[in-house]
Amino acid sequence: MVQLSDDLLDALREVINIGVGKAAGTLNELLGHHIVLEVPQVVVLRPEQIVNHLTQRPYDSISLVVLQFSGQFSGLSTLMFTSDSASKLVDLLVREETPLDELDAIKTGTLTEVGNILLNAVMGSMANLLGSRLSYTIPTYQEGPLAVLLRPIIRPESAALEITTRFTVQSRQITGEFLLLFEVVSFDAFVAVLHTALLG
Amino acid sequence: MARILHVDDSSFSRLQIGKVLKNAGHELLQAENGRAGLAAVQEQSPNLIITDILMPEMDGIVFLEALRQLGNRIPVLVITADVQHDTRENCLALGAVGLLNKPPRDEELLAAVAQALGQGGI
Repeated sequence: MVQLSDDLLDALREVINIGVGKAAGTLNELLGHHIVLEVPQVVVLRPEQIVNHLTQRPYDSISLVVLQFSGQFSGLSTLMFTSDSASKLVDLLVREETPLDELDAIKTGTLTEVGNILLNAVMGSMANLLGSRLSYTIPTYQEGPLAVLLRPIIRPESAALEITTRFTVQSRQITGEFLLLFEVVSFDAFVAVLHTALLG
Repeated sequence: MARILHVDDSSFSRLQIGKVLKNAGHELLQAENGRAGLAAVQEQSPNLIITDILMPEMDGIVFLEALRQLGNRIPVLVITADVQHDTRENCLALGAVGLLNKPPRDEELLAAVAQALGQGGI
């Protein structure tokens, strides 16, 4: 696997920052509240390490939106909220009285579309910056323990690079996390694209 | 006021965009994917079509291509989460009169709708 030099890591963090910044701007427009972003954490993992590493997070139960991408580089982009944050987010976005029997459907539909919009903002900004073209699958939404949700979708033999950015809507105590995973095969292609576009 | 067909698989986006269009006095038709959208176009003759891109069964690109093959003259406005430059160029090349990224601001949506209603279709 290609190793990331300090220059490349710095460039990668900046690309992620720009993408997540676009997503934060979008969330700010949706909610009308300021979004605080944390510095992206980039971790290069051996493929067999990734599932264990990801499931060390201290969440009992999460709401997870997954958008798969493919093109010059492929992988998974995910948006995670704790269950509490997910409920607060839906309350903020869908203010009308909602019939109890429709609550789950509305929550699922709302979080899926919010995830779709934010993950597209992150990945699309990255693709635009890098001069690449990505295709996406229909986003999916699930709730449950992180390990249970992640194990089926992460292929241990094909994941290599983990990029995490946490964001907070401080006034509403909502916290979410973007997590991007690149497949090993395309990871090398991604590094090559990154190198050419940003350092070449 | 116009009869507008909104094609989007997301109930959240149908609700948000539908609210703005209805409050502006437009008649609203809705469909969950391109296939249902095509049926609605043929049965209900909208004045404007608004479509998402990433949808199950028939996505927005195939929907645009199908409309083009049918010789559709109804203007089509794309509203998508996809911010890639290529997507915008592709949609415009397929005859869309405009593209907004989700979530559109209310005034941005209504201005694009007004502009699209003043233009020809594909």
